[in-house]
Amino acid sequence: MKKYRSIVLFLLLLSCFVSETKAQKRSSLVLGKDHLILLLDMRSSKQELDSLFKAAGVKGATATAFFNGDYSAFKKDGWNINKRSKNLIQFDRSLTDLNINAQNKPFLITTNISNENEGRPGYPADETFGINKFSQLNVYELPSGLTRFYLPGFLKSKRVLLSGNFNNWSTLKGAMIKTDSGWIADVKLAAGVYEYKYIIDGKWQRDRSNLQQHPDGFSDVNSVYYRYNHTFRLSGFAGAHKITLAGSFNNWDANTIILQKKGNSWETKFYLHDGMHTYRFLVDGQWFTDPANPVTVKDVDGHTNSVINLGETVNFTLDGYTNARKVYVAGTFNNWKPGEIALKKTATGWALPLIIPAGNYGYKFIVDDNWITDPLNKRTVVEDGVVNSFIAVKPNYTFKLKGYPNAKVVHLAGNFNNWDPDGFTLAHNGDEWTIGLYLKPGKYRYKFLVDGQWVLDPGNKLYEKNEYDTGNSVLWIE
Amino acid sequence: MPRSYLYLMICLLAVCWHQGQCSNNIPINGITFKNAIRDPDPDPSGDFNTLIVPIKRAGNLIIVEAQIDSLVGNFVLDTGAPYLVLNATYFRYMPQITEQESAGLNGTGAATFTTNVYNFNILDLHYSRLTADVTDLSAIENSRNIKILGLLGTRLFNKFAITVDLFRNTLYIHKLKEDGNIPQGEKAFHDPWMVTPFKYLNDVIFIKGIANDSPLWFAFDTGAETNLMDYDRVRKLLPGMQVLNRTKTTGIGGSSFEVIYARFDTLKIGDRRFMKNRVLLTSLDKMGKAYGHAVDGILGYDFFIRGIFSINFVKKEFEMYIYTNQ
Repeated sequence: MKKYRSIVLFLLLLSCFVSETKAQKRSSLVLGKDHLILLLDMRSSKQELDSLFKAAGVKGATATAFFNGDYSAFKKDGWNINKRSKNLIQFDRSLTDLNINAQNKPFLITTNISNENEGRPGYPADETFGINKFSQLNVYELPSGLTRFYLPGFLKSKRVLLSGNFNNWSTLKGAMIKTDSGWIADVKLAAGVYEYKYIIDGKWQRDRSNLQQHPDGFSDVNSVYYRYNHTFRLSGFAGAHKITLAGSFNNWDANTIILQKKGNSWETKFYLHDGMHTYRFLVDGQWFTDPANPVTVKDVDGHTNSVINLGETVNFTLDGYTNARKVYVAGTFNNWKPGEIALKKTATGWALPLIIPAGNYGYKFIVDDNWITDPLNKRTVVEDGVVNSFIAVKPNYTFKLKGYPNAKVVHLAGNFNNWDPDGFTLAHNGDEWTIGLYLKPGKYRYKFLVDGQWVLDPGNKLYEKNEYDTGNSVLWIE
Repeated sequence: MPRSYLYLMICLLAVCWHQGQCSNNIPINGITFKNAIRDPDPDPSGDFNTLIVPIKRAGNLIIVEAQIDSLVGNFVLDTGAPYLVLNATYFRYMPQITEQESAGLNGTGAATFTTNVYNFNILDLHYSRLTADVTDLSAIENSRNIKILGLLGTRLFNKFAITVDLFRNTLYIHKLKEDGNIPQGEKAFHDPWMVTPFKYLNDVIFIKGIANDSPLWFAFDTGAETNLMDYDRVRKLLPGMQVLNRTKTTGIGGSSFEVIYARFDTLKIGDRRFMKNRVLLTSLDKMGKAYGHAVDGILGYDFFIRGIFSINFVKKEFEMYIYTNQ
C-alpha cells in the first residue's frame, strides 16, 4: 500500500512539474489590476508571438525583431520591461487610457469594432453564370417581362410578403396577392442573381421548391433566383441524343448545361454576366463551334471556340490623326494592354465600336506609340497619379452641380474613390457640371471640389456630419 | 385673498411649471435623453394579441422595419435608447419642439433636437404621436452599409412584453393581461431557461449579474454589438483575465480612443451561469450619464445571442429560452 502511495505521489509531482513547464512555455496576454501584462516566452514560435503582438496592438512589433533583442516597438507603444529571466520577458503597459471614452452610446464603439459578420449576407456577389433549379417551377417569367413568384398554399395566412435583395429585404413592401391556390407577386427584375425568402404571417421561410440556395449569414438559407438574359440555340442535329454546352463561364464543364430540343433546334437559357466568354457545343461526344456565330478564337491548345461578348457598345472616336499608322485604345477594361484593340481608319479620323461590361473605366488612345487622352471627352479620372479619360458604361447615377460658370475645374470625390481630391473631373454642359458613374447598391458619401474648394451637393438635401464639421452629401443606390 | 398671497402663488406655480418641464433633463453630449415627459405620448393601439414582426440583421444589430406616415424604413431595436431616435440625415428638417442643443461629442457640434412624430407604425402597432430625438446616426449606417431611419427605444414597448428570437429572426410583441402576464395561449415559448427581475430606470433596463463572483449592475442594450464593462468600476475583477484584442477605435468626430476586448469565465444572471463571455473594457462614464444611472457594464449581443429573450416591461421581468425548450 505504501509502495502504491509513493508511486501516486511521484506521478502527481511529475504531472505538476510537466504542467508547470508547459505553462512557462506559453506566452500570454492578460490583464492585471492596472496593467496589461504581455508575457513572452523566447521558446514560443514566431507565429505565436506575431499573433500575440497583433492582439496586444503593438504596432510594428515582429517576432524576428523581438528575438534579435529589438524592443523599440514596445517602448514606442508605452510598454515597459517589468521582469526578465532566461526565457521569459514580461512587458507591462498602463491601462489608464481605458478611462478615455467620450462616447455615450455603446453602438458608437461596438459598430466600429465588431466585424464578425463582414460582407453583406443576402446581397449576392457577381456570378459569371447561373441556372435555376426548381423541384416545382414556382418562379418564372411572364410575357410582360415581369417575374412571377408563386407560393402555393398558405390560404389561411393573413399576410404573405416576398422579400429579397431586389426590394432591400423589405418586411413591409413586398405584399403578395392571394389567389385560389396560393400567393403571387410580380416583380420587375433586370438580368442577374437574386436572393429571396417569403414572410408568412411574420415568419421567414425559404422557397421550398427552389433548390438553389445561398447561406443567409445566420442559421438558414436564402433561395436564389437567376433572371436569365441569354439563349444559346443550335439548329439542326435532329438525330442527336444529347447536346450540352460548355464554356469559359463554367470552367468547360460539359455535363451541367444540357440543351433541350425545341422544333428544329436545340436550346438552353441561363444567366450570363457581362463580359467576353468562349464556348462550344458537345453533340453526342463531338465538339462544335456555334454555326450561328461567326466570331471565333483559338485557345492555347489550338481549339477553335465561339466568342460571345455581353455588355454595352461604346463608340470610341478620335478625330484627325489621319497620318498616323496605327491607333489603339487601352484602358482598365483590357488591363491597359497597348497593342490589343485597334481603331479603324475613317474619312475624318479613327473609330471603333467596342462592347464593354457595366463599370467605370479610365482609358487612353495610343497614336503611333504616343499615349493621349481623348480630346472629345472632358471627363477624366486620376489613376496612380496619371490623368486618363473617363467613361462609365451603363452609368446609374449622374452627379450634377448647377452654376459655377466661371470655375476652372470641378472634381468629384467620395468614399467610392477614397476621397481622392483629384479623382474625377466633371464636364461643363450648359449651366451644370456633370459626370455619370456606375455604382453598386449601397451608401455613398461625396463632395464636389470647385477650384479646390469643397462643396456639399446643393441639389441633394441628404447630408451627414463629418470630422471637419462641414458635412458630406449622402447618396443611396438601391 | 391679499394681493401679496396671489403674487406668491403665481410665483410658486411658475416655478413648479418650470421645474416640471425641465426636471430630470440629462443634457449629455450628442444624444440628449430627456426623461421629463412634457406631454406624455398617447398609448399605442393595435388590433392584435401578439404581433409577429420579422426581423432583419445588420452585423449584430436587430433591424425592424417601421413606417412614419408613408415613409418606410429600417430601425434598430435598441433597448439602450429610452425612446424613438431619428437619424438627422433624413429628419433634420422636422419641426423642433425644443431649442437646438449644439453640444456635440468632443465639441464637434453635433446637433440634437426633439420633435414629435405622428402616425408611426410597426405593422399593426400604431402610435398616433411619439416624442423623438433627432441626432446623427451615420456611424451605424457607415459601418453596416444599411439605411437606418432611427432607433426604437424602450418606451415604445413599455406597455408590452417583447420576445426576440434571433434564431428565426422574429420579434413578438405581446399585449399583456391586467396582471401583467402574457396570456398563456399567446406565449411563443414555454419553460424559460432563465428568469430574472430587472429595474427599469429612466427607460433603461438594469439587470443584476455576478461576474467572476462580484455583483454588478448591467444595462441591457440590444444596440450594443458586444458586452461592455466599465474599466474603472470592474478593475478588481480584471487580474488574470485573458485579452483577446487591444485596439484603437474612432468615435464620432474623429476622436481616437483605446478599448480592450477580453474574455472572462463566468457571468451569472438570474440563476444561470454563462461561460466564456467576451467583453469590451472601456469607460462607461458618459453612457451611465446618458442612462441617468451609473452602470458597471452593458449586456449586448454576446449575451443575448445565447438564447431567445423576452422582456416584460410591465412585470419588469427578463426571460431567456433555449430553442430546444420551446
